[in-house]
Amino acid sequence: MRRFAMLAVVFAAPVLVAAVSRERSLSRPATRTVWDSVYSAAQAARGETAYVAACARCHAASLGGGDEAPPLAGTGFLGNWSGQTLADLHDRIRTTMPSDDPGTFARPLITDVVAYMLKVNGFPAGAAGLPTTTDSLKEIIVRASKP
Amino acid sequence: MAPNACRVIRELSLLTVLLLSTTNVSAQTRPPFSTTKGEWPSYTGDTRGSRYSPLDQITARNFNSLEVAWRFKTDSLGPRPEFKLESTPLMVGGVLYATAGTGRAVVALDAATGAQRWVHREDEGPRGAAAPRPLSGRGLAYWTDGRQERILYITPGYRLIALDAKTGATIPSFGTDGVVDLKTDIDQTILPDIVTGEIGFQGAPVVGRDIIVIGAAFREGTAPRSFKNNKGYIRGFDVRTGKRLWIFHTIPKQGEPGYDTWEKGSAEYTGNTGVWTQITIDEELGLVYLPVESPTGDYYGGHRPGNNLYGESIVCLDLRTGAKKWHYQIVHHPIWDFDLASAPILADITVGGRAVKSVAVPTKQGILYVFDRVTGKPVWPFEEKPVEKGDVPGEWYSPTQPMPTKPPAYAKNGTSVDDLVDFTPDLKAQAVAIASRFKLGPIFTPPIVSKAEGPIATLARGPTNGGTNWPGGAYDPETHTVYVASSNSAPSVLGLVQPAKDRSDMDWVAGIAGGGGRGGLTVQGLPLFKPPYGTMSAINLDRGEITWQVAHGETPDAVRNHEALKGLTIPRTGQPGFIVGTLVTKTLVIAGDPQVTEPPGRPRGAMLRAYDKKTGAEVGAVLLPAPTSASPMTYSLGGRQYIVVAVSGGPYSGEFIALRLPSAER
Repeated sequence: MRRFAMLAVVFAAPVLVAAVSRERSLSRPATRTVWDSVYSAAQAARGETAYVAACARCHAASLGGGDEAPPLAGTGFLGNWSGQTLADLHDRIRTTMPSDDPGTFARPLITDVVAYMLKVNGFPAGAAGLPTTTDSLKEIIVRASKP
Repeated sequence: MAPNACRVIRELSLLTVLLLSTTNVSAQTRPPFSTTKGEWPSYTGDTRGSRYSPLDQITARNFNSLEVAWRFKTDSLGPRPEFKLESTPLMVGGVLYATAGTGRAVVALDAATGAQRWVHREDEGPRGAAAPRPLSGRGLAYWTDGRQERILYITPGYRLIALDAKTGATIPSFGTDGVVDLKTDIDQTILPDIVTGEIGFQGAPVVGRDIIVIGAAFREGTAPRSFKNNKGYIRGFDVRTGKRLWIFHTIPKQGEPGYDTWEKGSAEYTGNTGVWTQITIDEELGLVYLPVESPTGDYYGGHRPGNNLYGESIVCLDLRTGAKKWHYQIVHHPIWDFDLASAPILADITVGGRAVKSVAVPTKQGILYVFDRVTGKPVWPFEEKPVEKGDVPGEWYSPTQPMPTKPPAYAKNGTSVDDLVDFTPDLKAQAVAIASRFKLGPIFTPPIVSKAEGPIATLARGPTNGGTNWPGGAYDPETHTVYVASSNSAPSVLGLVQPAKDRSDMDWVAGIAGGGGRGGLTVQGLPLFKPPYGTMSAINLDRGEITWQVAHGETPDAVRNHEALKGLTIPRTGQPGFIVGTLVTKTLVIAGDPQVTEPPGRPRGAMLRAYDKKTGAEVGAVLLPAPTSASPMTYSLGGRQYIVVAVSGGPYSGEFIALRLPSAER
């Protein structure tokens, strides 16, 4: 029989985070998911150009990752980010990339790259582009599976 | 003899005993690093790549009762939080030592409570920022002569630091004020300059017989800026003084054996060929085992014709002198990024009634290469098998590659239509359509020039992110079994494009022609290949056989909840992902899931699993808030066994979590 145990203390912090997130969501609900055509094809195309120039050397042209850089597509990437907002993903890129000079990518460029990542991960494109502001991105949730 | 003389001799004898008991014990007489006393004094427990501890308090019966003893968040140990904590701590004398944080600090923690005792951090400015292997690193080394205790680690800027283990202060008598600049005294001038010159190391230094052995690493190499680079020579240093004792040229210099395997003088300018993963030492035999990486250009070797020794070779050196004892090139003329990525594992086994001191090397290929570690001869014969010759302009191809006859491959390492996902006929048809844009083939199918009209690339499994990578395996000296995790379903895209001249002077680098997300390798979000996506294997080294293999990791949410799979019963698929470190104890094999999941009945998180090491039956699992991102370790303190894991990934920043049983369950 497969069994598992929950570590109550381990979850003390995440539960706290979840509670804070719920409070935020009450004031500004996340209404869309990545399945709701949240980026445009033109944006993803710009994102691809930026990705090839700035990201592919470590994360690979296929987004499959390397020995050091994690994959940016596939079940591992989606598992880690499922349930989080695109603001979380955008912030992660903004504050940690590029690894030799973090914080130097312009916000719109990161937004384009996120759009490209959504495309390669199989999420549908739409007419409108992905927003760039953190508050707007907070309203879009990553879901590994179609709701 | 006069009574007085007798007394003098007695007193001298007593003095000798006292001196021996209070001063340095020589390296030759100290026992090797070992976990037998319940400590974890070296990166893999010992210096042999074992990751084995004989502790037996945590068992199948009580694993699910584990609770958090303490946790240590690493966010403040650098200018920003880290999301890729790959560090495995050491534990000696009740103190836990680890590298951690984006600044690669060293922390000493109370091993019972996690309370911080001291922290040491170097601010390296531009030199640290230019590091090819930044962030927390994978660990450090401990050394003692019975009197002094030292911690040794390598900064992102490639400086070797010696610290007093009790205080965290640098040791002034080591190197220059406690520091050895590893970018100097390296038989080459590091280019373009000492601040930005590309070379570093994120692994743990390893110490044996008072000698520190240091690896060398570079940036990811699929699309290098140049076919010329710095060389990854390996060096040994005196642990007391920091003096360089020897250097081994992983790319031979003119006049040295192997130079002629670099045709057209390519040994002069080719670089990389370092050891970026863990080096193994046999302290008893006085031998070092180097798992060497690829030369410059992971997928294109046209600038370096020839077999390219010692690229992708296992090399055995004399620990004292650095002289080469033997080598075996596992991949000739490397063009697949089959770096030797795992610590070699030393295993004393019995094969056909004969005792063999062996070294076993897990690989990205999912093949365990096993050698007599004294002679370098394969324990079971290797066959030089003919392999496909490609047609990339300017490339040089080896006509054959060595393939072991035993043990069998423990991971998938080629691609064919039969391997594609076939949960439903529709999914299979879509997978075939995607795969038709690529060239498929067995292991060692070479990279191709990417064409927008197809084929886009060779589709491979193994290179870069399949099989077993830096977390390596574990070895059980009781059952003579290697336990190793592998990733089966992380395809590598081996396509080549001509780079823009302002980006690289290579003739070809990794890339995909045509663009437009053509590298997408999922079928409606499902992995392109059939499960199991990841496995845990037990490989008996007396017999060269896989004794058990199980899917490792919860079925990913994207698979379990997929609308096309409703109504189907799909056994646990395991997970793709190579960051799965393995720990073996008296009865258990312990490893974490590489991905986060949220199946019905439990919160979102990643499991730390325990298997019966004899049968592979899963006997317990506990939930962690994020995937384990380093190899776990274990120790005993105050009568209680602890397991420490590093967790991080996605939005979860790095944290050490120590687990132990509740008081009542010991």
